Amino acid sequence: MNVKELPITRSGVIPLLIIVQAIVLLPLWFFIPSWISATTIAILLGKYYMYRQGVHAPRWILLVVVLLCVGGVFLQFKTLNGRDAGIGLISLMYAFKLLEARSYRDASLILFISFFIVVTAFFYSEAIWMGVYLLIAVLAILLGLVALNSPQGAQGIGSLGKLSGVTLLQAIPIMVLLFFFFPRSSTPLWSMPTDTQAGSGIDDTMSPGSIGALHTFDDIAFRVDFDGEVPARSEMYWRGLVLSEFDGFTWFKDQHSPIRQELDLPMTQTYQYRIQMEPNNRNWIFGLEDLAEAPDGAYLFSDFTWNRRRQTTQRFIYSATAYDIDFSQKPLSELQLDRYLQLPTGSNEDTREWAQEQRQNHPSNEAFIRWILSYIHQNEFYYTLSPPVIEIDSVDGFWFDSQQGYCEHYAGAFVYIMRAAGIPARVVTGYQGAEYNPYGDYYIVRQSDAHAWTEVWLDGEGWRRIDPTAAIHPSRVEEDLRGDASSRDGWMEEFGADVGFEAPEGLLQNLALRWDAIQSFWSETVMGYSQDMQFGWLRKLGIERHQYRYLGYGLLATIILAGLIFGYFVLRSAQRLEPVTKHYLLLLKKLEKLGIPCDRTMGPKDVLQVTRATSQKTYAKAAPALKTYIALRYQQEAIDSTMLKRFKQQVSRV
Amino acid sequence: MLSAIKKSFFSWVDKRSPRQSATVLRQKNIYILPTRYGWLMLGILVLILIASTNYQNNMGFMAGFVLLAVGFLSLFYTFRNLKGIEVRCLKSAPVFASNDAIVTVQLFNTTQSQRVGIGLGLSKKSVRYVDVAAESKSSVQVNLATNKRGLLDVPRLACTTMFPFGIFEAWSWVRSPYQVLVYPKPIPCPEPLVASNRGIEDGNTREKGAEDFHSLRDYQAGDPIKQVMWKAYARERGLYSKEFEDYVGEQQTLSWDSVAHYEKELAISYLADAVLSAEESQQHYGLELPQQTIATGQGAEHMHSCLKALALM
Repeated sequence: MNVKELPITRSGVIPLLIIVQAIVLLPLWFFIPSWISATTIAILLGKYYMYRQGVHAPRWILLVVVLLCVGGVFLQFKTLNGRDAGIGLISLMYAFKLLEARSYRDASLILFISFFIVVTAFFYSEAIWMGVYLLIAVLAILLGLVALNSPQGAQGIGSLGKLSGVTLLQAIPIMVLLFFFFPRSSTPLWSMPTDTQAGSGIDDTMSPGSIGALHTFDDIAFRVDFDGEVPARSEMYWRGLVLSEFDGFTWFKDQHSPIRQELDLPMTQTYQYRIQMEPNNRNWIFGLEDLAEAPDGAYLFSDFTWNRRRQTTQRFIYSATAYDIDFSQKPLSELQLDRYLQLPTGSNEDTREWAQEQRQNHPSNEAFIRWILSYIHQNEFYYTLSPPVIEIDSVDGFWFDSQQGYCEHYAGAFVYIMRAAGIPARVVTGYQGAEYNPYGDYYIVRQSDAHAWTEVWLDGEGWRRIDPTAAIHPSRVEEDLRGDASSRDGWMEEFGADVGFEAPEGLLQNLALRWDAIQSFWSETVMGYSQDMQFGWLRKLGIERHQYRYLGYGLLATIILAGLIFGYFVLRSAQRLEPVTKHYLLLLKKLEKLGIPCDRTMGPKDVLQVTRATSQKTYAKAAPALKTYIALRYQQEAIDSTMLKRFKQQVSRV
Repeated sequence: MLSAIKKSFFSWVDKRSPRQSATVLRQKNIYILPTRYGWLMLGILVLILIASTNYQNNMGFMAGFVLLAVGFLSLFYTFRNLKGIEVRCLKSAPVFASNDAIVTVQLFNTTQSQRVGIGLGLSKKSVRYVDVAAESKSSVQVNLATNKRGLLDVPRLACTTMFPFGIFEAWSWVRSPYQVLVYPKPIPCPEPLVASNRGIEDGNTREKGAEDFHSLRDYQAGDPIKQVMWKAYARERGLYSKEFEDYVGEQQTLSWDSVAHYEKELAISYLADAVLSAEESQQHYGLELPQQTIATGQGAEHMHSCLKALALM
C-alpha cells in the first residue's frame, strides 16, 4: 500500500473528528438559531452511526439536504450575507463536510477549517470563558491532527497527545508577545453591515414601565474607576439622555446640535473617572453629572449629554471629568423656553388644571417645587415595580388614580406639572448608584440601576436636578426598592438619607465581587486592548509615535531570535542519544582517527576483527571497550550502571 | 525550462546525498516546506487577522496568534521528527523483469525520542508510513517496478514526514549504493531447444540430486518446493531445504546458437525459461553464450549464475 496520505479509516480517527467538531461547535450552539444547532448535532450523531455501521451517505441525499439547509438559512435571515446568516451557513457546511469525509484530505480540511469556526464564536462573546474555550478547542484540533498524521490513528493519542499540549503551552508566550506588539488599527478596514440587535439598556423614549422593565436585568451597564475622590452614592447620577418632548403618553428625546465651540460657562472640576462601557448598540454614552467636555470619540450635545459617532457595539473605554457647572450667567433662549415648557394639548387635562390651580398658592418657583415634593411625600404615593397599567393619559392616570409607579412615572408627572405651572423642566434618564467592588477598587453599574429623574430651570440658578422618587415616604417604597430609593438625591434633607457604601456581606457576594474583578481585568485590559492602550504603554517605554515602524522590526527580530533559540533546543533534543550508543559512536570516531577502516554500519564484532587485522596496538586498547559494548548491547537485558561506567572509562582510554 | 531547473535542482540534491548504504538525516539533507494544508492554514490565519482587525475583536487576535505560534512551532517539531534518523538501504534479491523488486530500507533511531509517521517510498507522493520507537529500528519495503533485464539502479528514495500536525512536510532523499539484478523475463520457446546432450559419460559421479537424503541446509531462493522441510517450517524453526544426492541422469548444455536466429531479447528470454525448466526438472545444465560459457551444474547458485549471465549479456 503505497499512499500519498494516511487513510482515515484507521482506528478512532472518525470518532475523534466527531468529538473535535462537537467541541468546536459547542459555544455556537448557544448563539445560532436552534434549528441550525439541532441540525449540526444530528449530523454529528448521524456520522457516528454511519461510522459504526460502516456506510456512507449517498452524495445526492447530501446535496438535497445541503440545499434544504441553505434555503432554511435564507428563510431565517432573509439573506445569506451578514454575520448571523454567514455563521449559520458556515456551521452547517462545516458539519456536512464530516458526512462526506472519506480521505485524509477531507479530514485535514475539517480540522484546519475548525480554527476558523472557533473564531466565529468570538463574534458573539468575548467573555473570559471564551478564552478557556479557545485553549480547549485548539488543543482538541491539535489532538485531531496528531491522530490524523500518525500511522496508529487515535490510539497514538495516549502517548503522542502530550506533544499537542506542549506545543500549545509553548505557543502561549508567543501569542502574548504578538498580541501586545502586533500593530492595531483604530478604525475598521471596511464598514460592516450592522446586525441590528436589541441591546439591553436605556432607550431614547420613556413611557410608563419602560425603565421598570430593566430592573430585572442584572447585566452590567458599565464599570467606573475613579481617580482620586469618589462621590457619595446619592450623588452618582449617570446621565445618559434628556427627554423633553411629550405626546401625552411617551417622552421622546429631541434633536440637539452638538456644542462645537468651547463651553463658556464657569465650572469647577469635581471628579475624574474612567468608564468601561458594555456594548449597548446605541450612540449615547453615560457620564457622571454634570457632563461637559466629551471623551475621545464622542461629542457634547447642548442638553449636556454625550453621543458617539458610531454605535457602541464593542466594549468602549473612556476617561472623563465631572464638573459643577454654573448656568446662572446664561439664561434660556426663547427657543429653549418653548421647548422646555411645551405640552401636548388634549391630554392629561386634569393634571394641567390641578397644577395651574396649585400654582396660585405658591407663587415662587422654589416654593412650588418644594410643595409638590412634600405633596408626594405626604400623600399615598407608592414606589413600586408593578404599578397598574395606564392606557391613555399617563400623567392623569398616575397622579390621580393609581398613585403607584416606578421612577419614570414620577419623573414624567413631575416634569409635566412643572411645565403646566410655567417652570421649564425636562426628564433625564440614565443610571443611579453603583456597587463597590473592593477587590478591584471600582464601581459596577448594572441595568437594574436604570433611573429617570428631572431637571428644572430656576432663574438665576440654572438647571437643578430634582429626583421626585426621593420624596416618596419610605413606608410606601416596595421592599425590593428600598435600597435604591434610600440613596437618592433628597435635595431636601427631610426626604432622603445619605447612605454610604457598605462593605459587601456574605461569602457569595464576596466571591461574586472577586469574580467580577477578574472579569473586569479580562474585559478592560485584555479584551479592551486597543491601539490607544498600545500607544500608551509604548510611550511609557519611550517609543514615540513616529518610531513605531521600529516596533515592527523589533517584533520580527524577537520572533526570529525566539525561533533560533527554540529551534536549537528542540532540535538538540532530537539528537540526544542514549549513553551507550553515544559512547560507542565516540569510540568509532576515535578508531577512525587511528586509521581503522570502520563506520557505523558495521557491527561491533566486525569492528573488532578489522581492528585486529589493521593494528595490534590499537586492538589492545580498543578491544576491552568493544567487548563491553557487545556485552551491553547483546547480552544484557537491562543496562547495568556499573557496566556502563566501565564502558565509558574504556572508551576514554582509547 | 522547468525540467532544466528540476534537473539542476536534483543534481544539487544528489550531490548532498551521495549513494551510501547508511545516511544520517541532518540539517544538510533535510528539506522542509509547508504542506498544502499548511498554506490553507496560512490563508485562514490571514482571514482571521483581517476580520479581527475589522471587528476590533481581541479574542480573534488571540486565536490568530495562537494559530501562528502553533504553525511556527510545528516547523521545528516536524523537522525534529526526521532529524537524526539513520536510513540504511539493504541489498535486494534479484527479480525477473516485469516483477517488482523489493528494496528493504531500515530506519534506525538511536535517539531517545520516538519518531512517528515516517514515510518511505519512491517519491514523496507514494510512501509507506511506519513509526520508529526510541532506540529501535523499523523497516520498510519499497516495491520497485522492473521492465528490463540488467542491473537496475535503485532510484532516489524519499523519506518524509508530516507529523505532528500536517502543517509542514520535512523530507530527505536517500540514494542506495546497491543495484538490483534483474533477470530476463522467462518466455517458453515455441520450439524445442536443440540441446547439445552429452549423455551420461560421467554417469557415476555423485551430484546433488533428489534421490537420497543427504543433509539439511538453509533454504535458498529457487530451491524446489518439494525439498523444503515443511515440518521444521511449521514449528517455526525456519526454512530448510533437504539436500539429496542423486545419480545424475542427463546433462544438457543450453546454447546461444540454438536461439540465435530469434530477436536478441526474445532469445535471452527463451534461454532464461530453459534454465528455469532445466532446474525445475533437476537436470544438470550448462550455458554457452557468445562471450561466456558456464559449465554444467545444478542448484540455486548455478541457476543464479546462469540467469545473471543472461541478464548482463
